[in-house]
Amino acid sequence: MIQLKNIEKVYRTATIETVALNKVNLDIEKGEFVSIMGPSGCGKSTLLNIIGLLDEPSKGQVEIDGKQTNGLSDAQLASFRNQTLGFIFQSFHLINDLPVLDNVELPLLYRNVSSAERRRLASEALEKVGLSNRMKHYPNQLSGGQKQRVAIARAIVGQPEIILADEPTGNLDSNMGNEIMDILLTLNQRDKATIVMVTHDENMAKRTHRLIRLFDGSQVS
Amino acid sequence: MIKHLFKLIWKRRKSNSLMMTEIFFSFLILFAVCSLGVYNFQNYMTPAGLETNNVWVAFINFNTANDTAKVQYKELVSQQLKQYPEVESFSYTSSNAPFTFSTMSNSVAYNKKKVSSDVITVEPDFPKAMSMTIAQGRWFTKADMAGNFVPVVITKHLAKDLFGTEDAVGKIFGDGEEAAKSKKMKVVGVVDYYKHKSDFQELDNSLFRPSEKWDDTMVLKVKPGSGAEVEAKIVRELARLGKDWTIEIQQMDGMKSNRNNLVLVPVIILLIICGFLVFNVALGMFGVLFQTINRRKQEIGVRRAMGATKGAILWHFIGETAVIATFGLILGLFFAVQFPLLNVFDIEASVYLIGMLLAVIFIYVLVGICAFYPSRQASVLQPAVVLHEE
Ligand SMILES: Nc1ncnc2c1ncn2[C@@H]1O[C@H](COP(=O)(O)OP(=O)(O)O)[C@@H](O)[C@H]1O
Ligand SMILES: [Mg+2]
Repeated sequence: MIQLKNIEKVYRTATIETVALNKVNLDIEKGEFVSIMGPSGCGKSTLLNIIGLLDEPSKGQVEIDGKQTNGLSDAQLASFRNQTLGFIFQSFHLINDLPVLDNVELPLLYRNVSSAERRRLASEALEKVGLSNRMKHYPNQLSGGQKQRVAIARAIVGQPEIILADEPTGNLDSNMGNEIMDILLTLNQRDKATIVMVTHDENMAKRTHRLIRLFDGSQVS
Repeated sequence: MIKHLFKLIWKRRKSNSLMMTEIFFSFLILFAVCSLGVYNFQNYMTPAGLETNNVWVAFINFNTANDTAKVQYKELVSQQLKQYPEVESFSYTSSNAPFTFSTMSNSVAYNKKKVSSDVITVEPDFPKAMSMTIAQGRWFTKADMAGNFVPVVITKHLAKDLFGTEDAVGKIFGDGEEAAKSKKMKVVGVVDYYKHKSDFQELDNSLFRPSEKWDDTMVLKVKPGSGAEVEAKIVRELARLGKDWTIEIQQMDGMKSNRNNLVLVPVIILLIICGFLVFNVALGMFGVLFQTINRRKQEIGVRRAMGATKGAILWHFIGETAVIATFGLILGLFFAVQFPLLNVFDIEASVYLIGMLLAVIFIYVLVGICAFYPSRQASVLQPAVVLHEE
């Protein structure tokens, strides 16, 4: 499903050169739930962004769903992100000025979907994360766990095959964190979503199929 | 998508209120300027009904209080002028000849309807000197003076005011104030246009009646190319006819452009002030947009992650700005429509409507220009960078 070949990422500024990723090779199967661990600054987010086509590697190739992504146009990359990938972030990144339902609809705004259909799909996604009763609320009327559930609903509303989660429980206490982990596991098991998750929590990593460890930009296991 | 934008703006109406207010005031100012422009332009485009090229105005002072002497002197001048091949035609008129700063108005009444009109007293050759054409009827002649009524020629505007849709020629009407004391007037002809105050003048009421014995202003039509020498010669030779006469000649072209400037200069000053204001508003809008986009970097990253193309981000922010402008415009239009509705300044509604339309177009173009650059900056933000968290 996801194939990384010899990925290198170097950040250059006027004075320093940071090697964020060094020769990373990765093969993730369809339906796999993979977790990535490693100390802060070792390149986890960078790796996830490259998989998510939000960032380009300095070297190496990214193949998603059997398709080469090097050299794709902005529109093609955007369409990939829209159709195939769903993102979940540590600090939720909800749009505070929009009600929950509109937040969830967001990916569908960038597709040709009628507004009635958007409503229906977004309500369905909210139902999956158990937030049907919060559709009209605004994000700042929700707890952290609820916000992250909204973010998950937004990630799955377009039924992407791959979900990328960057420390989705990092801002939550362990109870809420476990709730989120349960939802992700359900998505993986019931909906056969391929999930790549960055985490700091060994217990959560243990519940996934495979653990990848990064250290200083290199894959150590 | 439009609904999405409206929702966002409505929710953020507090923080967007400054820009909305700016748009609101800019619109009102532009509306005023555009309406003024349309009004003057429309007036400018209507025919003048007279020709100022090669027309001179002579201001003669015979320095006598004796009307009998004055009549004789005037005849002397007329005889002399007929000698010059350069002078094609001429007519004595009241002092409110075209483009002088003098005005004379009177009220006239017909069937209890009373209106005010400029009154110009002229000789039968006046239309020839001014190249005026008659639309209905004819101009008055010497023969008309003997009748029971004062023969008059009026403008179409006055005809409509007095007689509505009825045929004006042949109508008999009186003075508005002293109907009993003065002779009744009879319409012998109608002219379509008579713009005698400036090219930007609205068509209005004018009435021409036979010249009075004390009229000592004169309009002269001269042959093309009659320059300063001819003018000097005529002034010199006329002045020699009498003892203490003073004669001054002015070119009507120059007099007209003086009058035009009286209208144009304030409009140009207003335009400059308006341009300055709008420029400031545009700069302000520019700054606010950059700020907005800076504050919403994460949101932009999220939208990109969710599948927005660069173009979608560009149009999103241009769209948002246009929606903000629309709110400001709606408020502005609410005030602007009061002008035609309440008929402020007695100007045709179409002038205000075109003014509104132009101002709306101008605002959207301005907003589009101001929004473009910041929005483009937003569209090229790197999603990985703006979404980066420690
Ligand atoms: N846009 C950037 N410019 C320069 N350096 C960056 C940028 N993004 C990340 N880095 C650097 O790359 C390294 C990896 O960052 P990141 O992938 O965010 O680490 P992690 O998510 O594992 O904490 C860090 O040293 C970080 O400082
Ligand atoms: Mg990180």
